[in-house]
Amino acid sequence: MSKNITDRYQWKDRLLGLLVPVLLLIAWQGLVNLKLYSDLILVPPTKVLSTLVYLAGTGELTTHILVSLRRVLTGFLFGASSGFVLGLFMGLSESTNRTLGPFIKALKQVPEFAWMPMIILVFGMDELAKNVFIAIGAFYPMVYNTYQGVSSVPNKYQELARVFDFKNIRFLSKVILPSALPSILTGLRLSLGLSWMFVVGAELFGTDSGIGYMMYSGREMFQIDVVIAGLVVIGAIGFIMNALLKMIENKVLVWNVSVEGGKG
Amino acid sequence: MSTLKGVIEIRNLSKSFVVDNDELKILNNINVTFSSGEFISIIGSSGCGKTTLLRIMLGLESDYEGQALVDGEPIEGPGLNRGIVFQDHRLLPWLTVKENIAFGLDKLGRKEKELVVAEHLKLVGLNGFERAYPSQLSGGMAQRVAIARALANRPEILLLDEPLGALDALTRMHMQKELERIWQLEKITMIMVTHDVDEAIYLSDKVVIMSSRPGVIKKIIDIPFARPRDRASSEFIHIKAQILKEFHLGTEYPFAYAI
Amino acid sequence: MYLLKEERVKSMNIRNQIKLRIGSLALPLVLFIVWQFIASQGYILAMILPSPATVFNTLITNITQHDLLLHVAASLKRVIVGFLVGTVSGFALGLFMGLSRTAEKIFAPTFHVIRQVPVIGWIPLIVMWFAIAEVPQIIIISLAAFYPMTLNTFAGVRNVRKEYLELASVNGYKGIKLIRKIIVPSALPSIITGATLSLGMSWGIMMAAEFFIDTSYGIGTRIQAGRSSFNMALVLVGIFTIGLIGYVLTVIIETLGRVVNQGRDVNKEI
Repeated sequence: MSKNITDRYQWKDRLLGLLVPVLLLIAWQGLVNLKLYSDLILVPPTKVLSTLVYLAGTGELTTHILVSLRRVLTGFLFGASSGFVLGLFMGLSESTNRTLGPFIKALKQVPEFAWMPMIILVFGMDELAKNVFIAIGAFYPMVYNTYQGVSSVPNKYQELARVFDFKNIRFLSKVILPSALPSILTGLRLSLGLSWMFVVGAELFGTDSGIGYMMYSGREMFQIDVVIAGLVVIGAIGFIMNALLKMIENKVLVWNVSVEGGKG
Repeated sequence: MSTLKGVIEIRNLSKSFVVDNDELKILNNINVTFSSGEFISIIGSSGCGKTTLLRIMLGLESDYEGQALVDGEPIEGPGLNRGIVFQDHRLLPWLTVKENIAFGLDKLGRKEKELVVAEHLKLVGLNGFERAYPSQLSGGMAQRVAIARALANRPEILLLDEPLGALDALTRMHMQKELERIWQLEKITMIMVTHDVDEAIYLSDKVVIMSSRPGVIKKIIDIPFARPRDRASSEFIHIKAQILKEFHLGTEYPFAYAI
Repeated sequence: MYLLKEERVKSMNIRNQIKLRIGSLALPLVLFIVWQFIASQGYILAMILPSPATVFNTLITNITQHDLLLHVAASLKRVIVGFLVGTVSGFALGLFMGLSRTAEKIFAPTFHVIRQVPVIGWIPLIVMWFAIAEVPQIIIISLAAFYPMTLNTFAGVRNVRKEYLELASVNGYKGIKLIRKIIVPSALPSIITGATLSLGMSWGIMMAAEFFIDTSYGIGTRIQAGRSSFNMALVLVGIFTIGLIGYVLTVIIETLGRVVNQGRDVNKEI
C-alpha cells in the first residue's frame, strides 16, 4: 500500500520533470509551423531526429564521437595525472606548496582558451596541440582538489597514525589517500567535464574530424539540423560521463555516509 | 625498578603551554606510579591537565620537565606497548570494522591477522559486524571497535581518554561493565581519564584526583572493595562522598551523580 | 613533519613569512632567467620564443599604437554584461527552485541535462540564431555565469537551517519578508561562492567567445591577431594582460565577498 503511494509520487515527479522539455518541443514545433523563419535558421525537431538517425546510419557520427573520445581521454589522462601528482606533493610538503602554489595560482588566472593560439604556434594544429590544450583544462581542478584533500586530512587521524607507528608509504596509502579520496574523486569528475568542454573547443578551432568539427562544418554550411544534432550528442555524452563518475564515486565512497562517520 | 610489564612512573613532571606570549602552567610537579595490571582513573574538572597527562604517557606530547617512564624507560613518542582509546572513537570511516581492528596489525601475516581480529571482535561482543562501516554503528558499538583496535596490538597498557564520555547514560553503564570484563580478561594496566565520579569508583583500583590551574594531584584514593561493585552500597556512597568533598561539593550536594 | 594547514600558518613567525614570499617568487624568477637566457642564445626561433625585451616592447607599442586598452575595455564590457545577465537569472532560478519543491521537480531535471552540454558547444547555434553585434558573445558568457550561480543559490537556499525557519515562522515572517530577512542572508555565503565561480567561468568563456565569434575588439582578438601573423610576442602580451585582469577581478570579487560576509558565520553552531 505505502509502496504504491511512493511509486505514484515518483511517477508524478518524473512527469513534472518532463513538463519543460515537452513544452519546449511544442513551442519549437509551433514556431516552425508559423513559418516566420527560413529552414536555414529553424528546422522542426523531427528533422533533427532524422539527421541524427541518418548520421548514425552512415557511421559518420560514430567516427566523430570516437575521435573526440580518444582526444578527451588522452588529454584527460595527461592533465589529471600530472595534476594529481603535483597536488599530492604540494599537499604533503609545505615547501613544494610555497614554491609552486602561487605560480600555479597565477597561471590559473589565464583562461585555458587563451593558451590555444600559443599552443598552435608552438605545436602546430595537429593532435598534439589538442591533447596539450585538453590536458591544461584537466590539470587545474585535479591539482586543486588533490591538494585540498591531502592538506586537510584531519589532525585526529594523523595522531592515530602516529600512535600506531605508521610512516611514509603506509601512512600515505592507509590514511592520507583514503581521507583525501572524496576530494580527489570530485577533482576527477570536474576534470573530465572540463576536458569534454575543451575537446569541443579544440575541434571548433580547426581540424577535420570529431564531434566539434561536425558542428563547426554544420555551421559553415548552414546545416542547422547537424548543429543541433551535435549539441544533443555532446550533451548526452557529457551527461553519461558525469553519471558514470558519480556512480563510481558512490561505489568507492560507500563509507562516506556523513563526513564524520559514526553517530557517537 | 620493577621487572613487571605495564608500569608507568611519572616523576616531578611539569608542563606549560605558551598562549599569547604568556606561559600557562598546565601540569605542576606530578608524581605518581601506575602499577602493573591496575585499573586507575584520573578525574578532575575541565582544564586540570588530565588529558595532557594521558597524552604525555601516550607519547603525543613532549616538551615537559621531569620524567615519564614506561617499564623504566623514558617515553619517546608513541609506542605499540601503549594502546589508546580516544573519546571520539576515531575509527577511520573508509575502513570496515574488521579493517579498523586490523589497522595496527600490518606486520602480521594474513592468517594470523584474521585470528587476532576474530578474537578481539569476540572480546568486545561484535561478532557479525565485521563488514560494517563506522557510519553504520551506534556510538557504543563504535567505541567497542576502538577498544578492540587498541587491544589488538596486545599493549601492556591501555590508555582511555574519556572513552564513554560521548555515550548516553544507559549505554554508558553497560559499557562500564564491558570495560571491567575486558580488563579482567586481558589483565593489563588500564589508565582512564574521566569526569564521571561514579564511573571512576565503579571501575578503578585507584582514583587520582586532580585540581586545576595549575594541574596538580590533589589526592590518590584506593578503592579496595570487591567487584562487581554495587553503586547503591554504603561503601560506594561513602567513597563517593569522600571524593566529592575534594571538589568542595560534598557538603552542598551530597547526592550529586556526576561533576 | 606533516602538519595541518592552519597550524603551519599559525606557527609561522615574521621571518618565515618573508621566506614564504621569497620562496613563491623563486620559481617565476628562475623561469624568467631561463627564458631570457634561451632567447638570447637563439637556440629557438624568435617566432616561438621572443625575448622578454621584445615582449615588453610589444606591450608598450600595443598600448600606445594599437589600442590595447580599448581591446581590454571591450572584453571587460562583454564579461560584465554577460556576468550580470547570467548571475541575475541564475539567482532567480536558484531561489525559485530552492523555495519550491514543485519548481525544483519541474525545472531541475531539464537544468541538469542541459548543464551537461559544454558551453562552447552552443557557440555555432547561437551564432546562427543571433548574428547581431555583441549578442552571441553575451549569450555565451551569461550561459557560463548562469550554471554556477543557479547551483549555489539553490544549495544555499535549500540548506537554510531549519531552526531559523522555525524561529521566523513563530515570529510571523512570511513571503518576501521571510526571503529578505532570513533565507537570502543565510544563503549568502553560498551565493557569493556562486558569484565568484560565475565570474571565473565568464572570464574563461569570454576568451572562447572572442576566438570563435567574429569580433573587432577584445583581448581575444588581439591574441588571435598575434597567432595569425605568427607574432608570439603579441600572443604573450595578450596572455599576460588577460591573466592580470583576471587576477584583479578575482581579488575584487573575493574582497567584496569578504566584506559582505564580514562577521557572519551562518553555519557555525550556536
